Amino acid sequence: MVNDAGQLYTMEGVAAGIIMLLTAYIVVSTTSVYTTGDTHIPDMQLEQLGSDVLAMMDTPDTAGGESSLLGLVNGNKGPEFKDAFLNYCNATTSGAIDNLHMSANVTYRDASSNVINEHSFVTPDETWTGRESAVRVTRWVQLDSQPWPPGPVRPYGTRAQAVLVEVLLWRA
Amino acid sequence: MACMNEDGQWIVLMGLLVAVGMFFLALIINQSVLVGQTTAEGVLEFPKNDIRDLRSAIFDYVDTELPDGVKEDIIAISLERKNAVVNFTVNQKMDVSGRWLHPVTIHYNNGVTVYNETVYY
Repeated sequence: MVNDAGQLYTMEGVAAGIIMLLTAYIVVSTTSVYTTGDTHIPDMQLEQLGSDVLAMMDTPDTAGGESSLLGLVNGNKGPEFKDAFLNYCNATTSGAIDNLHMSANVTYRDASSNVINEHSFVTPDETWTGRESAVRVTRWVQLDSQPWPPGPVRPYGTRAQAVLVEVLLWRA
Repeated sequence: MACMNEDGQWIVLMGLLVAVGMFFLALIINQSVLVGQTTAEGVLEFPKNDIRDLRSAIFDYVDTELPDGVKEDIIAISLERKNAVVNFTVNQKMDVSGRWLHPVTIHYNNGVTVYNETVYY
């Protein structure tokens, strides 16, 4: 029949059960990051992704050749730059492509008046509200002097110069 | 105190140890929340890509035989758009173990990170 002997053994059994559950929980949850709702982590990943894409576009196909980024900036080909950049950014190893959007400026210095100007290279698309958690990535591009007579004059001037390509990148 | 006995004291003592152990595990979980945030903040704040890009821009400048105005471009745009005080000098080629290289000194300071380098390029 039921009696009340061995109650401490019962309590020990309950404590052991709780410890085992807690251990299993800790082991399983070490595979994920605990920090919840923190925008720093996706920002960091997005910034690194954008930097890598710009670095890749700035790498020539052959030694001594012209990188695709240099060609696009030199020819002021904003739409082509946008397509190439987003194509690299949104690529995923499987499944649907990612949903990143971008805008870009080229900052250059007007040597005669020593003023720094911005040239709008890629205008933001309709998803831009100004409230996105956007990150900014930049890349230096060195342009050779434009030969005379020039074809279409590039907006930054004809001298040899260093310009800064600035890309705003956000997820929509 | 009738019927009180002193059996099972080891079991009670082990229970106490288990309770203390669980307290330390809870402390570890509590600390782990900070890990993701401080790591991400550290990565975001440290201008690794900026410094690498600045170095490659300066090496491009040396490669293209130091065109006029490019040094001023890099210094002025860095200050205006990157919040970084940048200065660099490229000196005459010198003999470095049988190779003729430019000594290039680079200084970078964005208020958080200071980077100085002398490189032979």
